[in-house]
Amino acid sequence: MHRVPYALILIFGVTQGAFGQGSVEGRVTLPEKKSAPVATKRYEVVTKGGVLATDPPLGVVYLEEAQGRPGTSVTRQVAQKDLGFVPALLPIQTGTRVEFPNQDDTYHNIFSYSPAKRFDLGRYRKDERPFPSVVFDKAGLITLRCDIHEHMRGLILVLDTSHFVITDPDGRYRLTNLPKGKFTVKAWIDSRTTKTQPVELKDGSAVHVDFP
Amino acid sequence: MNRPEPQNQTAVSSYRARLSITMMLVVLALTALGLFLAERKVDIESRLDLLQDFRNELATLHGVREVRQAALAERCQNLVERPRIHAALEDNAVDLLYPSARDELRDVLGGGNERDNDALKAKFYRFLDGKGGVIVPAEKADVGQLAGSDEKRLALPRLTKDLQVGYLLRRDVSAIDEILTMPIISTETGEPIGALCLGFEAGELVHHRTGEIRSGIWVDGRLQLPGLTKAEQDALDAELNRQLARRSSDVSLRIQLGGTPHLLFQKRLNPGSLYPEAYEIAIYPLAGAHARLWQIRRHVIIAGVALLALGLLASHFVSRRLSQPVEKLAVMSEEERAARERAQAALATTSAELQRSARFSADASHQLKTPVTVLRAGLEELLSREDFGPEVYHELSALLHQTYRITGVIDDLLLLSRMDAGRLQIQFEPVNLSQLLAEWMDDISALPDELHVHLKTSIEPDLMVLGEKSYIAVIVQNLLENARKYNVPSGEICVAAAKRDDSIYLTVENTGRPIPLPAQAHIFERFHRGGVGENVPGHGLGLNLARELARLHGGDLRLVRSDAKWTEFEVRFRAVESANAPKSDLAHNSTARYPSAHPA
Repeated sequence: MHRVPYALILIFGVTQGAFGQGSVEGRVTLPEKKSAPVATKRYEVVTKGGVLATDPPLGVVYLEEAQGRPGTSVTRQVAQKDLGFVPALLPIQTGTRVEFPNQDDTYHNIFSYSPAKRFDLGRYRKDERPFPSVVFDKAGLITLRCDIHEHMRGLILVLDTSHFVITDPDGRYRLTNLPKGKFTVKAWIDSRTTKTQPVELKDGSAVHVDFP
Repeated sequence: MNRPEPQNQTAVSSYRARLSITMMLVVLALTALGLFLAERKVDIESRLDLLQDFRNELATLHGVREVRQAALAERCQNLVERPRIHAALEDNAVDLLYPSARDELRDVLGGGNERDNDALKAKFYRFLDGKGGVIVPAEKADVGQLAGSDEKRLALPRLTKDLQVGYLLRRDVSAIDEILTMPIISTETGEPIGALCLGFEAGELVHHRTGEIRSGIWVDGRLQLPGLTKAEQDALDAELNRQLARRSSDVSLRIQLGGTPHLLFQKRLNPGSLYPEAYEIAIYPLAGAHARLWQIRRHVIIAGVALLALGLLASHFVSRRLSQPVEKLAVMSEEERAARERAQAALATTSAELQRSARFSADASHQLKTPVTVLRAGLEELLSREDFGPEVYHELSALLHQTYRITGVIDDLLLLSRMDAGRLQIQFEPVNLSQLLAEWMDDISALPDELHVHLKTSIEPDLMVLGEKSYIAVIVQNLLENARKYNVPSGEICVAAAKRDDSIYLTVENTGRPIPLPAQAHIFERFHRGGVGENVPGHGLGLNLARELARLHGGDLRLVRSDAKWTEFEVRFRAVESANAPKSDLAHNSTARYPSAHPA
């Protein structure tokens, strides 16, 4: 099930790609993996020195647009499964509604005190319908917590852009269907680190941008 | 025994006084030492008692605080585990902090219902942020009332992982709150991300003392202690500020409160805390200890006085015992000294007189001899001339005779003076008295005799006496001349010498007028002439000289009788056969100065 977002991203990307031909690809240098690779890869949010990031590390690369685009009305999901958030890191465009389905057999109480969006879904169980959901209308990083399970952490990166992508575990990314023009490409690496690179996109051109 | 001299008596009594004073001083020193030790003991004991009491009180306080701290620690542990609190602190949602903690901390605040648990109920709570600053709650209703200025003083310069204990003097209500600040440790980072600050009522813990004992808390440079007057408060504050500024390790302090001494103990309540220093102050009245001290002091003084009296009594006896021999010694020495002085004075007088008379005789003899010799030479010169008439020759001859008399006197004086000065050395040797007498008999027979005296002798042959021949001759000559001089016309002279026992006795008898009885005692004195007329030649030295010489020779001269018919003198010499006596004795005798029969 956790592959669903990727499929959605791909679909979304393809649909957006109809509006432009430009693409940016490259590699984000991610922090060293802290834990040994495991067969069944499960991402979780960890904090080190007050800095939130995923483990294994993942980055989000997005194109900062000159003028904000109107919010989208798509709906995404962050499920609670096995006392963790799936996905652990979710980049969305402002205006996106995110549903928080409880797939565990216990109560969860998802809330956030993050300045970008404060909410408290209260306690709910697996059979709660409709899924408790929140619309994120302001850009920023949201730390998801569960009031019952203090160790649970999830991240939602709310962006004022529709052009974003999660890197693969090696840091490689590819942004497609980009419009023409001069932009800034940003790479979010953790809650404190966002790297930027200027980029000029021409019709149909593919620009290579690395974030060392 | 004579009475000791006053001077000596003074010395003895001063000795006794010194002894008494010394003993008194010793007893006084002992009493003082006893007093000092007793006072010190009482002082230390009372101080230790009170200190123990103080420590017990502190221990109680400490116990209450430990319970509180345990409860608080648990509370904080729960709090920091609350995701909402964490979220509020970590996700920059400070405004949500107090609302999030409200439910958690509701039962920490004392509601006023459960009185028995009040000591463990907080009066207020506040959160500190990661830098130690106070997070001011938006809504104060649920967190306990606290004035803004007091609230600010909850802040810490930095956060640590340890519990911080502080004492907050709330000026608005003049009460002291005990502040326990527990850090909230992030489960993510292990670092303190904030702190929970709880205020408890401190007064209830420390003011419930019994009796006169008062205690309070010193914080912010001021002592919080109920029932103090303004003056006492100021004095105590000044004293404590001075004391605490020195960082003195001495926990006790003696102070005057209301005119009575008190003992003050202080102990830091929050050692090592980042909050301002606070001290537990306990003030104990020393009245009880003082009463005990006075009692002991009285006992010691009474004991000291008794000891002193006893000591004085003892010292009196002891000094008497000790001074008795000293006194005796002093008396004896005084007597001895007096006797010695008397003897010395007598000796000096005697010696001076002897010296004077001896010197006089010697000087006179020498001064006289020279002119007499000149005079005699002149007379002989005149006699040798032939141009004078026979009357003149007769006169000159008489004058010349007188010069011989003068010379004889001078010689006698010289001899006497030498004897008196002790300078006459007798060279003892055997002298044939019989022969010497025979020679003198011949001489006397040869002299012109106007009285026609008959001479009878009865002399044993070869009587050997011990002595010097010239001096023995002087004795014999003097006796024989006297016998002739004081005779009557056609009188008799009997000379006898015989040996009896170890002595040889020479007796010279002559007829003539008897020596009057009162004069007999004085005939051996110098210049005594027994009341004879001036027509009898003589100078009154002969008998004296003869007796002195006889005595120097170990013998004597005495008047045996003097009656109408005979006057008899007897000389005793030591015979040679008896001269086996040690030489030293003789030598001693020879040099001894015989006391004169008539000094001066």
